[in-house]
Amino acid sequence: MSELFFLPSWPPGADALPWYALLLLVAAIAGELARRWLHLPRLFGWIVVGVLLGPRVSGVLTERMLEEMRGMLDVAIGVVLFQLGQRVDLGWLRRNPWLLATSVLESALAFAAMFGVLLLIEMRPLLAALAAAIGVATGPAVALSLTREGRAQGQVTERMLLLTSLNCVYAFVAVNILLAWLHQEYSNDWLSIFGHPLYLIFGSLALALLFALVTLVLITLLGRRAEAQYIAVVALVVTAVYAASALKLSGVLVLLGYGVMARAFDVRRRFASLSFGHLGQILLVLLFAISAATLDLDLLSVGALAGAVLVAARYVGKAIGVFALAPASGLSMRKASLLSLTLMPMSGVALILVHDTTALFPGLGSALASVVVSAIVMLELLGPAAAYFALVRAGEVDETGRT
Amino acid sequence: METIAFKPSAPLSLGVELELQLVNTRDCDLTRAASDMLALIEKEPHAGDIKPEITESMIEVSTGVHSRHDALLAELRQIRTTVVAAADRLNVRVAGGGAHPFQHWSDRRIFDRPRFQNISQLYGYLAKQFTVFGQHIHVGCADGDDALYLLHAMSRYLPQFIALSASSPYYQGVDTAFDSSRLNAVFAFPLSGRAPFALKWSEFTTYVERMNASGIVESMKDFYWDVRPKPEFGTIEVRVCDTPLTVERAAALAAYAQALCRWLLVERPDRISEDNYLAYTYNRFQACRFGLEGEIVDPAAGVRRTIAEDVAATLQSVAMHARELECEEPLQLLGRIAREGNDARWMREAFADAGSLADLVWQQGERFRAG
Repeated sequence: MSELFFLPSWPPGADALPWYALLLLVAAIAGELARRWLHLPRLFGWIVVGVLLGPRVSGVLTERMLEEMRGMLDVAIGVVLFQLGQRVDLGWLRRNPWLLATSVLESALAFAAMFGVLLLIEMRPLLAALAAAIGVATGPAVALSLTREGRAQGQVTERMLLLTSLNCVYAFVAVNILLAWLHQEYSNDWLSIFGHPLYLIFGSLALALLFALVTLVLITLLGRRAEAQYIAVVALVVTAVYAASALKLSGVLVLLGYGVMARAFDVRRRFASLSFGHLGQILLVLLFAISAATLDLDLLSVGALAGAVLVAARYVGKAIGVFALAPASGLSMRKASLLSLTLMPMSGVALILVHDTTALFPGLGSALASVVVSAIVMLELLGPAAAYFALVRAGEVDETGRT
Repeated sequence: METIAFKPSAPLSLGVELELQLVNTRDCDLTRAASDMLALIEKEPHAGDIKPEITESMIEVSTGVHSRHDALLAELRQIRTTVVAAADRLNVRVAGGGAHPFQHWSDRRIFDRPRFQNISQLYGYLAKQFTVFGQHIHVGCADGDDALYLLHAMSRYLPQFIALSASSPYYQGVDTAFDSSRLNAVFAFPLSGRAPFALKWSEFTTYVERMNASGIVESMKDFYWDVRPKPEFGTIEVRVCDTPLTVERAAALAAYAQALCRWLLVERPDRISEDNYLAYTYNRFQACRFGLEGEIVDPAAGVRRTIAEDVAATLQSVAMHARELECEEPLQLLGRIAREGNDARWMREAFADAGSLADLVWQQGERFRAG
């Protein structure tokens, strides 16, 4: 035994909890600095801290620690998607069908544009199609975080949230159709070709429905006590994240669907004012910091060109889609241009889709990751900056900066 | 300041302004939507005039000038249809009601126009607290003296208008116990209350000019009186009503004002003097607090009765004039409201049934759409 046994050992154990606390503290401070000195949303501070503490810059957070944090990351993105789903009003699509058309068009054009330019730089068609499909999704955490922090209200905000949730779903479905196609290259087993995507899509929707119904029944039973309702919903959302993973379903679709359905079936609006409050904020800080830390900046050396053309083509496709149907859907051209900027962020959902694809087809994973992750790295700060600028210019952000 | 000339208008002509709430479809809180909605509405020709108000979560709609109730109601319905259609496309709901039941005043943003920004700077939190929604009824007058006579003669009947229209029992998340909490927000302004007692237009303009010379007011717009003359329209403007939950009720209240003014002008039933105002603030409080069950004092007659009884009695007195003006039907509606309860009562029942203020606002939106 060492004679200095009474001193604590260093480094202090492998327990993840103190690291969360450290990350949270540093990121929260950086977020406040971003707010006060740069007058930018806090998420810029969180992202920068994540990158700086990550394994590729300072190495304070190692690959292993990040792997251990993966569970928290899933919960955090789950909560984000659930909240986003809650903000989607399916009735709006019925009252203004041009919005549904806008969402299909912006996603389709973005896909076509990305696919086209990736082919032009001689990428394999299947890989190009997968990258393009993943690129359809706008980062939901950015949309939610900017809306919350700026207490943004108005058409650009509302449409950003709606289009973001829809294009995340489209991206998910498109990627799974492509993966089914990929299955067919490797095997002739029709059950896995069709069975897997069908199981993913319908299984996820069924699980979402189940959770939505359970939530509404529970809320009715618990009555008007806000605190009890809150605890129950938080517990159910976390359970849904793990249930999706245990049943090998899609966390993205389950949580988004859960949020949408919980709202759609809540005819008496018992559930309407539920918000995740400070807990939601803590999860957002961790989500931005951890996912920024996991970004493999080294991939830029191989994927920079492809990433850059993807980013450009993606924006052009989305912008044309939004512009084309702006008059029909009741949006001025000025606001349409701002709305197109808010669709730029790319993050969480895209990373999950890369992760899912890599898990199924490891050979394909690294090539796909170099393009998509490069694009995500480029948009990591640019995307939120564009979206924030757009919301401010639209006059929809409360610039006093309270949350 | 130029001398204020009263521009004559067709006696007993009517016009209505309604301030409407814009709420989101998620939790039914007030939402910023006025400029987006106005941009959409202005693209196509539409009935009435639709304008921004002091905050982004409010629009003001106003009708043209009408001589008859049915034409007024028809225009209000067209405006309602236009506004609701635009709101549907933007995922916003439009609701009546004198105040939003649970909005928090510090969340409100002030519409970006110099006049509104100035008001906001001068009045601080009062300007945001002032996110309340009223109905203004204009009644045309042949000249300034008639306008002042009607203004003071009407004052005796204002508690009826307050009680019949009251639709702001909830404010900032609590039951205020008032039927109309909105008027309490109006009281806070230094230039609210009643107009000074003057029956000659020349006396009145002298008063306004003196207030202007002393730097207290810039124009008539700075007076937030319960009834004020509107010389550029040639009307008196009754401003005590909460925005009712339906345009049908808004039109009925206007018809009542019209019939009442005709009776007051033709029969001159009350002697007008400063004494009319002895019980004014007391009666007004009773109407705000207790609605139709409030007890008012008539100092001239020396009687005390509930506002519901007072409405029934006045409806009797004006019946002949209502027949002349062909507005018996809306007056019957008001008689029913006096007997069966106002919008504030309906809101309390709806809340007891629904259990959430968000759901109450949702139902207000449904009623506005249907009525």
